[in-house]
Amino acid sequence: MEPVRDRRIRVTFNADTHASIQWNFKPQQSEIWVVPGETALAFYKAKNPTDKPIIGISTYNVVPFEAGQYFNKIQCFCFEEQRLNPQEEVDMPVFFYIDPEFAEDPKMAKVDLITLSYTFFEAKEGQKLPLPGYQ
Amino acid sequence: MSTAMNFSSKSFTPRPPDKGAFPLDHFGECSAFKERFMECLRHSGYESAACRQSAMAYLECRMDRQLMANEPLEKLGFKDLINEKSEEKPEKS
Repeated sequence: MEPVRDRRIRVTFNADTHASIQWNFKPQQSEIWVVPGETALAFYKAKNPTDKPIIGISTYNVVPFEAGQYFNKIQCFCFEEQRLNPQEEVDMPVFFYIDPEFAEDPKMAKVDLITLSYTFFEAKEGQKLPLPGYQ
Repeated sequence: MSTAMNFSSKSFTPRPPDKGAFPLDHFGECSAFKERFMECLRHSGYESAACRQSAMAYLECRMDRQLMANEPLEKLGFKDLINEKSEEKPEKS
């Protein structure tokens, strides 16, 4: 995979928490400039400000949605339960790349901004969440 | 606005990450590496290409501490940085 240097893309980051979860959750950078075909690292941060452990699970969204098919996450913190102890704060990395084929797609020619949004939910026993692969 | 007749458009379905989830770094073992990376981003105007050395160092930290499955760095998109490293004398800051 080779970087496509003449297609700089701005990736911005959103963080949301569902009303059910009391974590503080936010991105550690509001934006990062990338090119298709080159891996990139970004961070979120989460804190449990309560006095009880809380288990969260997250999903993500990519806008514009047509760009989502080119957004490849190598590794992140999503779709698996993450437990934060009382007062605990952790870094949450996302390691990703935009597929070089993005630069070949005429429908993507005007896209120079991609927004990645993560949302955390509280994982409660017996609760079913609409997440891929979540048991 | 797209209409229902747009057969070529794909609706967004979130996909799990290729290599699964990062375990949480509960003890902040790699926080210093993260800080170095974030500082690089701030100084470079948030240019990812300028901070790949620091990104690689962060991931190496995770791998060294079992916070990430071991993977050759070439496979994580750092092939050019590895080749550079082996040609010059490595400098550790």
